[in-house]
Amino acid sequence: MFLYTLLAAAVAVVVALFVTPLRQKVWVATGVIATAAIAAIALAVMAFSNGAITLAEFSTPLLGGESISVDKLSSLFLVIIAVASVATVLYSKGYVEGYLERFSPAHISLHYTALVMLVVSMMMVVMSSGGFSFLFAWELMTIASFILILFEAERQDVRRAALNYLVMMHIGFMFLVIGFVLLYNVTGSANFAAIEHYFKVQAPLPLFVILFIGFGMKAGLFPMHIWLPEAHPAAPSHVSAIMSGVMIKTGVYGIMRLMQAIDHNADLLYTIGLIVLLSGIVTGLWGVIFAAMQNDIKRLLAYSSIENVGVILIGLGIAAVGHAAGSNLIGMCGLCGALLHTVNHSLFKTMLFFSAGNIYSKLHTTAMNQMGGLAKHMPITAILMLFATVAICALPPLNGFVSELLIYIGMFNGVSDGHEVLYSVAGIIALSLIGGIVVLAFTKLYGVVFLGSPRSTYVAESTEVDNLRIGAMAIPAVLILFIGLLPQYAIRPITMVAEAISGSANTIALNHFAPTLEALSASCWVLIAIILLLYVLKHRLQSTATITEGPTWGCGFTALNTRMQYTGESFSEGLESIGKPLMKDTVDGRAVDKGEIFPTPHNYRIVHKDKVDSLLGQWWVKMLHHFNAWVMRLRTGRVNNYITFALAFFIVVLVLTIVGIL
Amino acid sequence: MVAIALSITGVINRTRALLAGRKGIRFFQHIYNAHLLLRKGAVYSTTTTALFRIAPTVYLGSAMLALLFIPVANLEPMLSFHGDIILVAYLLALSRTAIILAAMDTGSSFEGMGAAREALYGALVEPALMMGMATLALFCGYSSFAEIFSTAQELNMNLTIVLLLVAYVFFIVMVIEAGRVPVDDPKTHLELTMIHEVMCLDYSGVDMGMIHIAGWFKNAIFATIAANAVAVAISFNWWFATPLAVLATGITIGFMESLRARNKLSRNITYILTIVAMAALVLLTGFLLIQNIEI
Repeated sequence: MFLYTLLAAAVAVVVALFVTPLRQKVWVATGVIATAAIAAIALAVMAFSNGAITLAEFSTPLLGGESISVDKLSSLFLVIIAVASVATVLYSKGYVEGYLERFSPAHISLHYTALVMLVVSMMMVVMSSGGFSFLFAWELMTIASFILILFEAERQDVRRAALNYLVMMHIGFMFLVIGFVLLYNVTGSANFAAIEHYFKVQAPLPLFVILFIGFGMKAGLFPMHIWLPEAHPAAPSHVSAIMSGVMIKTGVYGIMRLMQAIDHNADLLYTIGLIVLLSGIVTGLWGVIFAAMQNDIKRLLAYSSIENVGVILIGLGIAAVGHAAGSNLIGMCGLCGALLHTVNHSLFKTMLFFSAGNIYSKLHTTAMNQMGGLAKHMPITAILMLFATVAICALPPLNGFVSELLIYIGMFNGVSDGHEVLYSVAGIIALSLIGGIVVLAFTKLYGVVFLGSPRSTYVAESTEVDNLRIGAMAIPAVLILFIGLLPQYAIRPITMVAEAISGSANTIALNHFAPTLEALSASCWVLIAIILLLYVLKHRLQSTATITEGPTWGCGFTALNTRMQYTGESFSEGLESIGKPLMKDTVDGRAVDKGEIFPTPHNYRIVHKDKVDSLLGQWWVKMLHHFNAWVMRLRTGRVNNYITFALAFFIVVLVLTIVGIL
Repeated sequence: MVAIALSITGVINRTRALLAGRKGIRFFQHIYNAHLLLRKGAVYSTTTTALFRIAPTVYLGSAMLALLFIPVANLEPMLSFHGDIILVAYLLALSRTAIILAAMDTGSSFEGMGAAREALYGALVEPALMMGMATLALFCGYSSFAEIFSTAQELNMNLTIVLLLVAYVFFIVMVIEAGRVPVDDPKTHLELTMIHEVMCLDYSGVDMGMIHIAGWFKNAIFATIAANAVAVAISFNWWFATPLAVLATGITIGFMESLRARNKLSRNITYILTIVAMAALVLLTGFLLIQNIEI
């Protein structure tokens, strides 16, 4: 019954979206998504207060009995999805408005249908108990996001990126199908709950690795991250926001479900913790190094999403290793840090992609080196972006710091209590290096885009975007402030979820967090107070003095122009000298040579691409070529050869039947 | 703490002067200079936004808050909680971010150059800082400054050596963060040395004063942590750690600046990574020693 209602609702929504007039479509979509979001939040609140809720139970023809149910982990993700999707659909109005004349109404309807479909399918993914319904929702999510990426389908790079995305996702999907079928074969149920049983009766590692790869493809784990930096620049900004902020988190959700299942086996937990920690470290470092080197806003943000998934996995890995070593405190710190970081990243990353969208809709480019000085033309976007920048750099008064602090505390506890010192140290090194390079990446992004003077004439023509888009950006901003300044309240639901995952009610950890986070909150307020006080002081000191304005000091050089500013490329030049072996550059034109004393005009464009990208891509193509060449030898064109092949086939079938394989 | 902050620069200046055979400026001349700056007006570039004017307050404010968490040997810090060492590291990162953004705001290529280098060096030195702190946490079993330095009393000879090495790591981290020779030269902002000083090229008056003061505070933070690490090993009293922080740091930096040349800029990355590697080595050695003792 539940499924039929759902199906009827889906048909109704699609029809409504297609028949409403062009400008009203967004409101229909908003209505549907807001309803879904409110329902999701209501469910989440109920699950938090009363425990798990089961909405529907049914049996599927292929993978046995399943249910749609909400427990604490699902509810956390439901809240994340709800908040981000409402912000996204509100934002989309202003963004899509610029395309209303260019595209047919059907195109716009399709876009909004896919958006609604994406939101609903993500909710289904986190509510499904596993098996067929999970895979169905997962596939629906992939297709919906594929359609969303294809919004500007007339651009060749968009089509290419979308196709690339679709292929990658289906490779991941294949792994998931294999994993679930394996699970069903052994235990007779394909639910997440059955994984625990499977791990007891069968060798656990193969299944774990298969599912980990499947989920990791969505989450953007190294080396499966290569779809992210291609898909995000191609997709419209609000789509990038929801894909990067929320959709890749469904991969993280899957990994968390896996970890939940192995909680009772210390040895296994230890091994798996190591795998997760290692892949987190590699993913995080790889993502952040490439983020710092990108010269395109959305590519930079895409790589930074990879880095954040890495940070989440470092937290999860430390949690598992600590838990296996018998320290509940480390386990809770890592787990809470990872969960909170998932929430945090969904907030600031949506804001950052929205800002990128504001810029793109005014300047029609995302190339950083064409910008500069945007803060004067788009002041509110600039302030909100600065806010998100501070948050993503994990700097104190905002939310990014809280989650990284929890992970750090876990690791420092590991060091000081003598539990798994080496792994904790590896995590500390990785996380601090990531923290440092994130600052480099985002000061580059913000400095080159919003500060300085304009590098092209487009900037002068740009204006602030409409209020609805600003409002959509303010939703995550408020939550960022709340988590950053009052972490002791924000942590409560997180610890409840963490308890549900780790399977042990742990009041010690809560008692441990509460004073730290209260002190942190107090410190943040003190910081703000000190800064305000200093500002007032400065104002008073300056009130009597003379303040003048003049051009920027050029160190005696009088013919300064805006093209002499530091560009994005030059900002990260030092890091590039270290990171050279990792990347493969595509260069258009020629840089100014060292020997040129009087340089002539040059055109120069460089894109830093992943070596893994070309490695994987080329490897596949080469394999395919070889295989084709081999198969082509069979195609001789002579009928007698073909008859021989047919005969050989029958003989093989015969032999196999005799041996008993067929 | 404030006394330490105020006097380190004086000691550095005096040492440099004596080594160069000069009599040198007054000991508290730098404070007088800052005082003068605070009373002056300012010139702001027309390219800049409000961020440029707020940045020095954030820069100074975060350094001040970080200072409040640092104990001087057995003197308790003003603030302390479990995990404050991470907050201190990230407060310093916040101050760095503020000044980098302010430098980018002027749109000057010189300041961009400084900002880019500061961002890179800051990123690379972060692991060294964290590992130094992890070593301390390993020995003392806590993760707040106050607890680390108040519980570490009974340590044997081997660990003393490791602690001295930790102090050395913190000292080099200070040299890098404060932009001293051999990484950067605070005396000039010509193209050879464009890191720290060049970022403040467009600041004047009150803002410049604040940046100077914040610089002293940052110096004091690292110098005190280093001195504490030494004091834990030798004599854990504030009357020992305070002069140590001031004199040892000041005189060493003075010597280094008088006797050493600046690194070639491309060598700086190697220099910083060496320190990171050394911090890792110290941590590993400490870990092995601890294991030996326990077994």
